[in-house]
Amino acid sequence: MKIVVCVKQVPATNDAKIDPETKRIVREGMQAILNPFDTYAVEEAVQLRDKFGGEVIALSMGPEKAALVLREAISVGADRGLLLSDRAFGGSDTWATSYVLSKAIEKIGGVDLVICGKQAIDGDTAQVGPGIAAHLDWMQAACVMEVCDADKDTITVKRMHEDGYDICEMSLPAVVTVVKDINTPRVPTLKGRLASDKSEIPIWKPEDIGAQSSKIGLDGSPTRVVKTAPPPIRNSVTKKITGTSAECVKELIAELRLRSIL
Amino acid sequence: MRYHIENKIYHVEILPPKQSTEKLEADLELFAEKYNRVMESGYCACITDNAMGLLAFQGHEIINELNLKVNPEQVMIHLNTFHTKSNLCEILDTCMAKGIKYLLIISGDGSDRLPKLQPADVEAEDVQSVTSVELLRYIKRHYPDTFTLGVAFNPYEPPEHEFEKLKRKIDAGAEFIVTQPIIEKNAIVDEMIQKYPDIPVIVEAWMSKKLYLLSDAVGYPIPEDTEFDPIKTLMQIHRDYPNCGVYLSLLGFKTQYHLIGETWRNI
Repeated sequence: MKIVVCVKQVPATNDAKIDPETKRIVREGMQAILNPFDTYAVEEAVQLRDKFGGEVIALSMGPEKAALVLREAISVGADRGLLLSDRAFGGSDTWATSYVLSKAIEKIGGVDLVICGKQAIDGDTAQVGPGIAAHLDWMQAACVMEVCDADKDTITVKRMHEDGYDICEMSLPAVVTVVKDINTPRVPTLKGRLASDKSEIPIWKPEDIGAQSSKIGLDGSPTRVVKTAPPPIRNSVTKKITGTSAECVKELIAELRLRSIL
Repeated sequence: MRYHIENKIYHVEILPPKQSTEKLEADLELFAEKYNRVMESGYCACITDNAMGLLAFQGHEIINELNLKVNPEQVMIHLNTFHTKSNLCEILDTCMAKGIKYLLIISGDGSDRLPKLQPADVEAEDVQSVTSVELLRYIKRHYPDTFTLGVAFNPYEPPEHEFEKLKRKIDAGAEFIVTQPIIEKNAIVDEMIQKYPDIPVIVEAWMSKKLYLLSDAVGYPIPEDTEFDPIKTLMQIHRDYPNCGVYLSLLGFKTQYHLIGETWRNI
C-alpha cells in the first residue's frame, strides 16, 4: 500500500500574532511544531504500512523550515519526505493548498491512500483533506476513528459523527482524515531521529508538479479574509470549596449539576 | 543502595537531550561527556524520563546508541508511567541486557504528546489510572530479582496522603526512596526516615541557583532574591542527614562538579 500522509508545521503557541495587513499568522520567531492531529495520521499510515507492506511518504507545503516536520514524520516511521516550497505557493487558502497537494500526489504516482489529520490547529478549517479528495476526484471519509479493514482495492473505516459513527467502505485510492481516537502516536526514538536527520528532503516547486499559476497562491485562492481577531477573553471565576471531604464532594457535585456538566 | 550511602557515592542527575533540539549530535556529545565524568568519579548517573513533561530521548537508548559503558552500581534510570506497553517492555529489556540495575519508578509528568500506560498494560484492572505503584508491581512480577526499584517521596504534599501513598509503594516492593529537593532540614522527611528505618533514603539536593524552578518543584513560591548557596546547602544537608544518600539535581558540570568531590568526604 502506497500511502501519502499530509503534515503541516504549525505555531507551537496559542498566542500567535496576526499581521494586521495580510491577516495571516506572523510565523517569524515563533516556535513551530508538527500539527498535533497529524501525529495521528502519521501513526496510522505507519501502522497500515507495517500491516500491509508498501511505503509511507510524508508530504508538506510550507517554508523550507517545514522540512523539520517531515523529519519528525520520518523519525517515527515514514519512509521519506517531500516538501512543496516556493514563494508562488504563499498565500494559498485551503482550496489552493489542497490543489497543490493533489498535484504532488499525482506526481508521486500509484498512491493508494492519502491520510491527513482532521484539521490543523492554526486554521481549524478541516478543509484540506476533503479538498484533496475533491481535486483528485477520489472517495473520502473525514473524522475517521478506526480503520476496520483494508485490502488492495478497498478500505473500510469508522467515520465519527455527533451521534456515533458510520461504517464506510471505500474503493481505493481514497482520502481519509483522522481524529485522535484512532491510535496512540509513538514518540520518536533516538535511532529514528538520527536516521531522519540524515534523510534527504527533496523540494518541489510549482513546475515540478505541473501546477497552474492561476490555481496557486493568492490568485488561486477564492477565500478572502476580511477580518481576524483574537477570541474574547473568558471571564472565568474560581470558586474555592471548603469543608470536610464529604461536604466538598457534595458541593462540587451540586455545582457541576448546576452547570449541566454532570 | 546502602553501598552507595556507606561509600559516599553521589547520585548525579543528567538530563537527556530534548526531542525538540536542533543540535542533537552536539547535545549527545555533551551527554556522553557528563555521563563519562560521573562514571570516572565513581558516582551514580541518574537519567531522567521526560522530566516536567518535556519530551526528551530515553536514557537507555542513548546508552545503547552511544555504546556508553554501564557499571551496574553507577547507573539509575528514571521510569514513569507515560509510555506505551511496547515501549515499556523495550526499556526494561534493554536495561536488563545492559546490566542497568537501579530504576526510579515515578508516576511522572505527562503531556499531550506522551502516551500513558493503561491499567490492562500492567495487569492492574482494578484501578482507573496507572501510578508508580502499579508499574512497580508489574516490574516486580515480570522481572523478578532483576532490578532494584526506588520510589519518590514528596514532603510538600499533604503528609497524610503522601505517607499513605508511600506505604503502598513500599508494599508493592520499593527498595529505596528518593525525596523531592530539600534545602534545609525537613520535618516530614525526618518522620519518613523514622517510619522506614530499614529502607535507604536518598535526599535530593537542589544545585541550581534558578529558584523559580525550585518553586515549581516544591510547590510554594521562593523569592528570587533569597540568598542561596547550593554548595553550602549541600554541606548542611550532609550534616542534617548523615545516614542518607544524596541526589544532586541540576548540578552545574562546569561550575560545581569540581567542588563536590571533597564535600561529602570532609563532613
